[in-house]
Amino acid sequence: MSRLPGWSLDVLRTVIALVAALAITFVIIIVVSAEPGAAFAALLTGPLGGPRTIGVWLDDVAKLTLAGLALSLVFQARLFALGAQGQAYVGGLAAGVIALSGLGQSWLAIPLGLVAAIIAGAVYGWIPGIIKARFGANEIVSTLMLNYIAIDVFAWLIRTRIAPPGSGLTRSAPFPDAAVYPTLIPRTRIDLGILIAIIAVVAVWFFLYRTKRGFELRMVGFNSRFAQYAGINVPSTIVRTMVLSGAIGGLLGAVFVQGTAYGELAVGFEGMITFEGILVAIVARNQPLLVPIAALFYGYLRQGAVLMGLRSDVPTEMIGIIQGVVILLVASAGLYGWLRAGQAETPSEADADADEPPIIGGGPLTEQPVR
Amino acid sequence: MTELLSTVVSAAFFFAVIRTTIPLLLAALGGLLADLSGALNVALEGMMLSGALTAVIVSAYLPWWLGALAGVAIGMALGAVMALFHLRFGADVVLVGFALNLMAAGGTVFILSEATGGDKGSSLALPSKGIPRLDLSWLESIPGIGGTLRAALSGHSYLTWLTVLLVPAIWFMLYRTPTGLRLRAVGEYAPAAAAAGISPDRMRTLGLLLSGALAALGGVQLAMFNYIGFTRDMTAGRGFIALGAVLLGARRPGGVAIAALLFGAFEALSITLPALFANIPGELVHTIPFVVTLLALVVYARRAQLLTRRRVAGVERTT
Repeated sequence: MSRLPGWSLDVLRTVIALVAALAITFVIIIVVSAEPGAAFAALLTGPLGGPRTIGVWLDDVAKLTLAGLALSLVFQARLFALGAQGQAYVGGLAAGVIALSGLGQSWLAIPLGLVAAIIAGAVYGWIPGIIKARFGANEIVSTLMLNYIAIDVFAWLIRTRIAPPGSGLTRSAPFPDAAVYPTLIPRTRIDLGILIAIIAVVAVWFFLYRTKRGFELRMVGFNSRFAQYAGINVPSTIVRTMVLSGAIGGLLGAVFVQGTAYGELAVGFEGMITFEGILVAIVARNQPLLVPIAALFYGYLRQGAVLMGLRSDVPTEMIGIIQGVVILLVASAGLYGWLRAGQAETPSEADADADEPPIIGGGPLTEQPVR
Repeated sequence: MTELLSTVVSAAFFFAVIRTTIPLLLAALGGLLADLSGALNVALEGMMLSGALTAVIVSAYLPWWLGALAGVAIGMALGAVMALFHLRFGADVVLVGFALNLMAAGGTVFILSEATGGDKGSSLALPSKGIPRLDLSWLESIPGIGGTLRAALSGHSYLTWLTVLLVPAIWFMLYRTPTGLRLRAVGEYAPAAAAAGISPDRMRTLGLLLSGALAALGGVQLAMFNYIGFTRDMTAGRGFIALGAVLLGARRPGGVAIAALLFGAFEALSITLPALFANIPGELVHTIPFVVTLLALVVYARRAQLLTRRRVAGVERTT
């Protein structure tokens, strides 16, 4: 076996993970379904069924891309911050407040909504960042708690302040037309959100690989102690990373609420998509330019699963199993020792682990900050 | 305000606190064992959820204790999967944990729907059983405080009392047995433990297996005592709050128990408050455990940081 370049191994691993996940899915569908044919057809071809389903798919891709980008940024710095969900809610809230205010009628509604969402998300990302950098507070727990808090406060504000009084609804009045993203292709959900996602991809790539701050971020992720010796201010890099990631999370919120899919503030609008961003980021190996590709694939499966839930007796939630299997198989470098059997002189599991840094840091809960 | 006070110091409230504390405490003890062995278990949430659903489904057809055991078994199986992918296949332990959480979140709804014939919300269609309650009515005969004691302590599940016993048992295991010493040694500094002939992988596997069993037991208590039956996402973040309790409890069994009790008290309060004051919004009360966890996290981290600094300063002075 000739020497394969590193990236082709990565691709191979991802393909194996995907095929294995689909194979497991098929087995489960055959076991539980009375109409496996219909379920398969919906899962695998459903999203291409028509312009409307394609539109829903691509709309999901834009959101998954933004979620994946927000998580890629923190993962690259080896921070396991999962705050994108809460940031999406505060960002969506900020954008929604602009859209529902007097400004919502003017052309300013969309740019101001974006700015407000970015600021709100950045502030919400700053909180876990500063307590991590200052006190070493574990970012996994802090971001998850902030997510729950954001969801509850959002629901409370919608119910008591934002929903039309006396309606008992858990959503706002529809935004004025000027505050909803224009569609790129009429009568589909393909709207400005996709352009925003593409711009964000390029911006994050540029930041990470073409700026000094981006280099510092990657150094901290690669080896924070070394970064510190090299004169990088590690705590402030941590805060900056969390703030930037939060800004993207906030942006995601604006794309959600001002996109054609909603055009309103609704309780639970985010629908756990930010956690699926974990999968997108992992499959993309935290590379901004690969994030949209991973999002295309995963978004397709996701939409297929929704259609499968509608058109067959297999529940949509079965996609949770695909999610888990894909992450497990992509993240397990050591599983693929046999792939490089012909490459290294002494192939061993340790080699397989050692030649790439872990995707993110999972140290013990009490890891001390580097100061 | 007096109304609030009289509620909070009432026996019924203590009963509620114990009820809300136990699932959290079980999960937190699980988180503690895994964390001490050096493998952070972020899948407590998914393990609780899986344990709860398994217990409900099995107990619908078999005796309650088989349901509980099946729940524990599924938790251990998930712990084994974590150990396999993290230790053998080199995947990051946090990623494995989140993969399991995603699987559990979707998988439980999927299996629930299969088991109930299409209900994706709750297990109402399943005649699942509860854990028997331990009747301590005889406490009433104690003069003076008997009535209060009975109201607060009688009628909890067998598992509640088992959990109370588990706290000292786990303390004993960790600090008075060779296994506990090895487990902590591996978590403290694995290379040194390995040099002393202890296998870090074996100890972490043990930590994750026990962690899975305990977290699932928390789910069992939730679905067989706190509520009878399973509802979608019924753990509602308890697995993550439990991680906070591990930290706040300074990674010691007794401390973890006190932290879990604190979180349990706030959860009980969040259930009681809306009934007392109609104008307090439920959503905001619901955030109390999360806000407390967040604050506790900062306080704990700050304290740990000061301790380390003092220790470092001490070392510098002596050298």
